[in-house]
Amino acid sequence: MAVVNRNTIRAVVESRLATELANSPVLPVVFHNISYAPTPNSSWVQCLTSFGSGEYLTQGLLSNASNRIVGVAVMNIFTPQGVGVGANFTIAKRIRDLYNRLIVSGVYFDAPIGPEVVSASPEGYFQTQVRVTFEFIEEL
Amino acid sequence: MATLRGEQGTVQFDAAGSSNATIVGTRSWSLTITKETLDTSVHGDTFRSFVGSMVSGSGTVELVYDPDATGQAGFLEDVVTTADPADATFELFTTGTTTGTDSVSFAGIITDMEITSTVGELVIVSCSFVTSGTITSNLE
Repeated sequence: MAVVNRNTIRAVVESRLATELANSPVLPVVFHNISYAPTPNSSWVQCLTSFGSGEYLTQGLLSNASNRIVGVAVMNIFTPQGVGVGANFTIAKRIRDLYNRLIVSGVYFDAPIGPEVVSASPEGYFQTQVRVTFEFIEEL
Repeated sequence: MATLRGEQGTVQFDAAGSSNATIVGTRSWSLTITKETLDTSVHGDTFRSFVGSMVSGSGTVELVYDPDATGQAGFLEDVVTTADPADATFELFTTGTTTGTDSVSFAGIITDMEITSTVGELVIVSCSFVTSGTITSNLE
């Protein structure tokens, strides 16, 4: 195996979400560096995947060696204001179930954090956040 | 000057002592070589004097457990060899994998094997060994 492409890992994270939210009830999902103008009083999800520091796992430099790659997927869930949290938490459950302690294509997903209520940005929505840390063992 | 870092190291091993091969997935190794001393002080001496005596060694090898990694099973399972004739051979490299260069080699016995599985962490194997017979140091 060679040095892993971070986009390969990102695709594992994001494709699961895109596939799930394409099912009924369908929800728009927005990823990093994509412009989106939300419809007022609608529900939608923003997924931000990023990577943290790498770590040596084993000896051997560039042969017979492995590294640990860690990352986090931050899911911002936006639902209409003034109608309680139920609809929002229902979406959060769909998202949590996609990752909760699963191993998908070599990506180890940890137990998700949240849904945590946060100040809405953009304003005009009720927003919660689900965060999923993950790691991948890169074999060189 | 050529300082080294641990990731440059390697461990080679052969349970039968015929042809050492790299163990894939080693995370660390350590070796302590001890020389016993004999007290040669005599009546009338006011300061103790010694001569060097028997030399022995012991150490540890830590692995990131992977059941498919080349060399791991043969290494960690050597601990269950009964009536062990100390025919296993080790070569611990500080850098590279060139036999007899930047390494210490010896025959030995694996005396202890501990495998640890903890939620959210990598499965780690730690083996202890003692040397048997000549220790050849090439740490030049």
